[in-house]
Amino acid sequence: MPQNDEMNVEKNETAPQQQAPANLEPAEPAARQNGSTENKALGVAIAGWLLPGLGHALQRMWGRALVVFVCVGVLMLTGAAMRGNLFTSNGNDAFDTLGYVADLGAGSFYFLARAVERGGADVSHAGGDYGTRFLATAGVLNLLAALHAYEAARGRKA
Amino acid sequence: MSVASPFTMTHIEAFLLFAAVISVAFGFLGRRQPKDRVKYILWTFFLFVVVGIGIGWAMYPFSR
Repeated sequence: MPQNDEMNVEKNETAPQQQAPANLEPAEPAARQNGSTENKALGVAIAGWLLPGLGHALQRMWGRALVVFVCVGVLMLTGAAMRGNLFTSNGNDAFDTLGYVADLGAGSFYFLARAVERGGADVSHAGGDYGTRFLATAGVLNLLAALHAYEAARGRKA
Repeated sequence: MSVASPFTMTHIEAFLLFAAVISVAFGFLGRRQPKDRVKYILWTFFLFVVVGIGIGWAMYPFSR
C-alpha cells in the first residue's frame, strides 16, 4: 500500500513536467483570448453600469438581471419620490462629490430620477433624508452588480 | 408654506423596504441555488432588522 501512495505522489510530481512543452506552444492564442475575454468583460461591466441588470442579461443570467433592474429601480424611484437629494457635479465639498459618485453609479437611472424629481430635493423632512440614502444605495448597489457581472464575464465563479 | 412630500413613509417602513430590497439583491448576487438564495435572503433581512433596531436603541440615550 505505501508503495502505491508513493507512486501516486511521483506521478503527480512528474505530470507538470510532461505537460510543460504542450503548454508553451499555444501561448500566443491564449494571450489573445485572454485579452478578448477582458475586453468583453469590460463591455459587460459598462453595459451593467449604464442600464442596471444589462451586464447579467448579456450573459443570460436572467434572474439576476431582473432582480438588479428591479432593486435598483425601486430604490431610485422611491428615493426620488421621497424627494431625496440627487447630488450634482458642482458640489461644495468632498461629501457632495462622494454623493455624486454614489448617485451616478445608477447609470441611466440617475437621469431618470432627476426627471422624476422635478420639484427638487427636500431634506427638511425626514423622508427627504431617507430618500437621499435610498438614491445613494441604488447607485452603489448597481456598481456592485456591474462588478459582479464583470467577474462573471471573466470566468470567475459568480 | 411648506410643500408636503408627495410620497411619505415612516422610518420603520423605509427601514423595512430598504432591508428587503438589499437582502433580495444580495441573495441573488451572492448565491446560485434557489434554496441557498432563500436562506441567505432571510438571514440577511433578519440581520438588517436586528442590527438596525439595535443601533436605534443604542442611540436612544443620546436622542434627548
